[in-house]
Amino acid sequence: MIEVRGISKRYGDLQAVDNLSITIEKGHIFGLLGPNGAGKSTTISMMCGLISPDQGAVQLNGEQPTAKATKHKIGLIPQSIALYEELTALDNLSFFADLYGLPSNLKAERMEWSLKFVGLQDRARDTVSEYSGGMKRRLNLAASLLHDPEFIFMDEPTAGVDPQSRNKLFESVFELKDLGKTIIYTTHYMEEAEKLCDRVGVVDKGQLLALGTVDELIDQHGGHSSVHIRSEAGEESFMTANPVNDLMARLKDLTTVENLSLQRPNLETVFLNLTGKQLRD
Amino acid sequence: MMKAVIALMKKDLKLLFKDKMAVFFTFVFPLLFAFFFGSIFSSSGGAKGLKIAVTDLDQTEKSQAFVQQLNEASEFRVTETDEANAKELVRTGKQVAFIILPEGFGENYGGIFSGQPPEILVGIDPARKAEAGYLEGSLMKLGIKRFELAFSDANEMIKQLDFSIEDIQQSGDMPAEWKSLLSDYLPKFKELTEQELAKQPDGAGSTGLNFGADGDNPMMPLKITKEEVSVQQSGPRNSFSITIPQGVIWAIMGCVIGFAISLVREKTLGTLDRLAIAPISRTQILAGKALGCFAAQAMVVTMLFTIAYFILDVRFDFIKLLLAVIAAGICFVGVMMFFASITKTEQSVAGMTNAFLILMGMIGGAMIPLFAMPGWMQSISHISPVKWAILALEGAIWRDFSYIEMMTPLAILTAIGVVTFFIGTRMLKLKQS
Ligand SMILES: Nc1ncnc2c1ncn2[C@@H]1O[C@H](COP(=O)(O)OP(=O)(O)OP(=O)(O)O)[C@@H](O)[C@H]1O
Ligand SMILES: [Mg+2]
Repeated sequence: MIEVRGISKRYGDLQAVDNLSITIEKGHIFGLLGPNGAGKSTTISMMCGLISPDQGAVQLNGEQPTAKATKHKIGLIPQSIALYEELTALDNLSFFADLYGLPSNLKAERMEWSLKFVGLQDRARDTVSEYSGGMKRRLNLAASLLHDPEFIFMDEPTAGVDPQSRNKLFESVFELKDLGKTIIYTTHYMEEAEKLCDRVGVVDKGQLLALGTVDELIDQHGGHSSVHIRSEAGEESFMTANPVNDLMARLKDLTTVENLSLQRPNLETVFLNLTGKQLRD
Repeated sequence: MMKAVIALMKKDLKLLFKDKMAVFFTFVFPLLFAFFFGSIFSSSGGAKGLKIAVTDLDQTEKSQAFVQQLNEASEFRVTETDEANAKELVRTGKQVAFIILPEGFGENYGGIFSGQPPEILVGIDPARKAEAGYLEGSLMKLGIKRFELAFSDANEMIKQLDFSIEDIQQSGDMPAEWKSLLSDYLPKFKELTEQELAKQPDGAGSTGLNFGADGDNPMMPLKITKEEVSVQQSGPRNSFSITIPQGVIWAIMGCVIGFAISLVREKTLGTLDRLAIAPISRTQILAGKALGCFAAQAMVVTMLFTIAYFILDVRFDFIKLLLAVIAAGICFVGVMMFFASITKTEQSVAGMTNAFLILMGMIGGAMIPLFAMPGWMQSISHISPVKWAILALEGAIWRDFSYIEMMTPLAILTAIGVVTFFIGTRMLKLKQS
């Protein structure tokens, strides 16, 4: 379990993170959704102990993230490709495994598992600089899983990745969840948050604006659904808080419906309603 | 604990060797520098040929002719002087060797098939093996000339002609015209030679093989008697003794720049975050970097001094050199940490470190040797860590420093290293939080 209590971080005049509190259950995938510069990376960095908050505290299973025993349980997938591109994938993994002091038999086993997990076992001897963007992203993930961490922090792992690699990555996230890992996933793609996350926190300008399951957030902040009908009566649209009932009622009066669409509110509308701006610029 | 530090160091060395530019500036360039300037200095120093002092105690026609040959030989640069001065010149290292032609040299010089080979006395520093071999070889080459001289001797010629006339008469396949022409010509030529010989005051070169009674083969071109001269070391033994320490500085500067860039690159890439998140301490991370930088320096310095010793004939006091290299290593690892901590991008760290080191190198003697600097420059050179590193290295190579004298540069280098390392690691720590 991860407990974040009132953490803040300030860079000069800029309040990067402002009094943010979250609790994340073991085995959950938690999404941190927000536009560029919202403070996602800063939050995640404080959660995994990379930077210390100005105020507030973070506890992983009741321990400080910087405690040595806890460090063994943390896996961070940095937003940038944090790899030595001049070295081979194997050299990279071997080095990062050594940082965790894995004994050599376990190290070989974990390296093999990680490469297989991200589907790079055939390219393990290649220099990373020869990899495609998607392959680098996958190796970036593999390098963080060598020590079999319990808490996995993924900072925009799909940045610059084609749809195929993206789907592969989603599968990997679910596999990790099946292994019982607790996952924190930041993104500014609401589709990713909707698809992957058990719970989502919406952040902007360092503040946590809303917290809950995707459905809860939509119920609370999504507003009305929009309904669009084309029939013998012509085209008509209306907004409603109760789309199913309202639609059924309207359809009773019509005989030939040519086209019908129902647009439920999504995280995009949630974000729009919370901040008055689009998630993506 | 140590495992992570070693892993960090190995990784950095691997990265260094993957970077062709870094390898060039760390390993190849310093060597080229030492070679190139070393050879320029040695030729401009006039050492086109060995500098030798020659004393002719025989003062005969033959001995003077031999001195003349030495003068004309491109292998030598000859100073003619008396015996005492010749020895002094070698002892003080101003000349490489002395050659003394003792009395009786001329007498033996003419004798090919009898008597003893002419003797010369050569004095050279026993440590200068390469020059000694070269000198001996060159002298022998000159000695062989005396055979050429002998074979242009008239008696020898007459004998040769007799053989030839006989050959021609017995030859069956030679055209008759040629046979008659040569049979006519060669005896006449022989007659003429005999007349010339009769005119000479004494029959130069009596025939008959006769080896020297004491076992000295008179067919030896020369008998070289060597005398070992212990040279007072005052000043560098050769120009490489100056350019190798300079090459070492260039190599160390290459390491410093390479590692400063690699440390900043870890920040910009985010791999430093991976290190920071791992269950290793900041001290271990920094120790790994420092050790990598130090190991790279040790490697290139070992390479340079191995080449210097075996190929360039540079001599040094091993223990003092080791101390100098370690102190310089500490100093420049600190400098590396400092520059890596105050800069944010790879370009700025490369630019700043380069500018700083080249300036320090320039005023510190990495380009112009310290002793060749004008006075004002020598006094500002004190602010350059490069100067102290070169001084320590030179102290172990040719300045012949005592351990007490070594203390000053060693202490200064260590102090610079410790202070810059401390500041650097402190600042790097601040950046992260
Ligand atoms: N080390 C730093 N020094 C100064 N300002 C910083 C630093 N790190 C982050 N910031 C600022 O803090 C704010 C939040 O940054 P952060 O990287 O956490 O945002 P983010 O949500 O991860 O954005 P993105 O989606 O672009 O990754 C930004 O305005 C950023 O410029
Ligand atoms: Mg970010």
